[in-house]
Amino acid sequence: MRRMAAESRRSQMLRGVLDLCLLAVVIDEPAYGYEMTRRLRERGLSTVGEGSIYPLLGRLEREGLVATHREASDGGPPRKYYSASPSGRRALNEGVRAWRDVRGEVDAVLATLEAEVTG
Amino acid sequence: MSPFVEECRREWDRLGVPDLLADEMATELEADLAEAEADGVSAAEIVGESDPRRFAATWASERGLVSEPAPPKRRRRVWPWVVVAAVFLVLLLSWLALQTLGTSHASSGRPVQVRRPRITVPNVIGMRACPAEKVALDAGLIVRHVPSRRCGARVIGQWPAPGRMVPQPHGPRYTVRLRLRRAKR
Repeated sequence: MRRMAAESRRSQMLRGVLDLCLLAVVIDEPAYGYEMTRRLRERGLSTVGEGSIYPLLGRLEREGLVATHREASDGGPPRKYYSASPSGRRALNEGVRAWRDVRGEVDAVLATLEAEVTG
Repeated sequence: MSPFVEECRREWDRLGVPDLLADEMATELEADLAEAEADGVSAAEIVGESDPRRFAATWASERGLVSEPAPPKRRRRVWPWVVVAAVFLVLLLSWLALQTLGTSHASSGRPVQVRRPRITVPNVIGMRACPAEKVALDAGLIVRHVPSRRCGARVIGQWPAPGRMVPQPHGPRYTVRLRLRRAKR
């Protein structure tokens, strides 16, 4: 029960920043859906919680934050690649700034509890 | 096409997603799932959702391909089991209650087997009839009435026999019968 609650909290926290993470993994090099999942894993984000990256990619595409193109794959169907659009780069920069601010503020509040929680 | 993707494709059809886009999403998903499977990653980790219809609707909705909002997430179906368990419990309790009532009814319907106290038949042989009758009555037995004209007769026999244990009388069976002989004048 406690574990489920922890997972739910993690999922909720991720929900607000997962789009930034997706933009971050395609900022330098385009990637298709599963490749983005793989890159997230490589950077330490093994599970994205409830839901999936696909609806989020759909929203990023709708909002013009990612550009897409198709590329042939080895033997399989052509893959859909995502890359950060110029507005996606701007959104990422702003989002990262906002995230760091929030993280700093939350950390400042929670730091007072650190001794109690870890002790 | 995997069953999950097929189900998604059907949902996109239902929602009116243009075929071209629905095919594109289905192809993308199918290729990603196949690659994930090859990597040993489960489909659940990729789609994060066990309900293909909801997954498909959410994706299409987020892409702005449909106006219909994604259906609310189905909660894990715990409640049907709770209902089934509750119904079962109610039935079980009802059955137990009926059993208990039936037992008590049955037991109240049957004649109650109460063990009546037993008494010892006194020896009245040799006594005059009326004192003998009184002794037997005092002992709690029923005695066939002795007419007053035979009050002086002597008891020469009795049934049941003296000393026999008999239940307290509740009928003619345990009535003491005295055999009398006319008194000598």
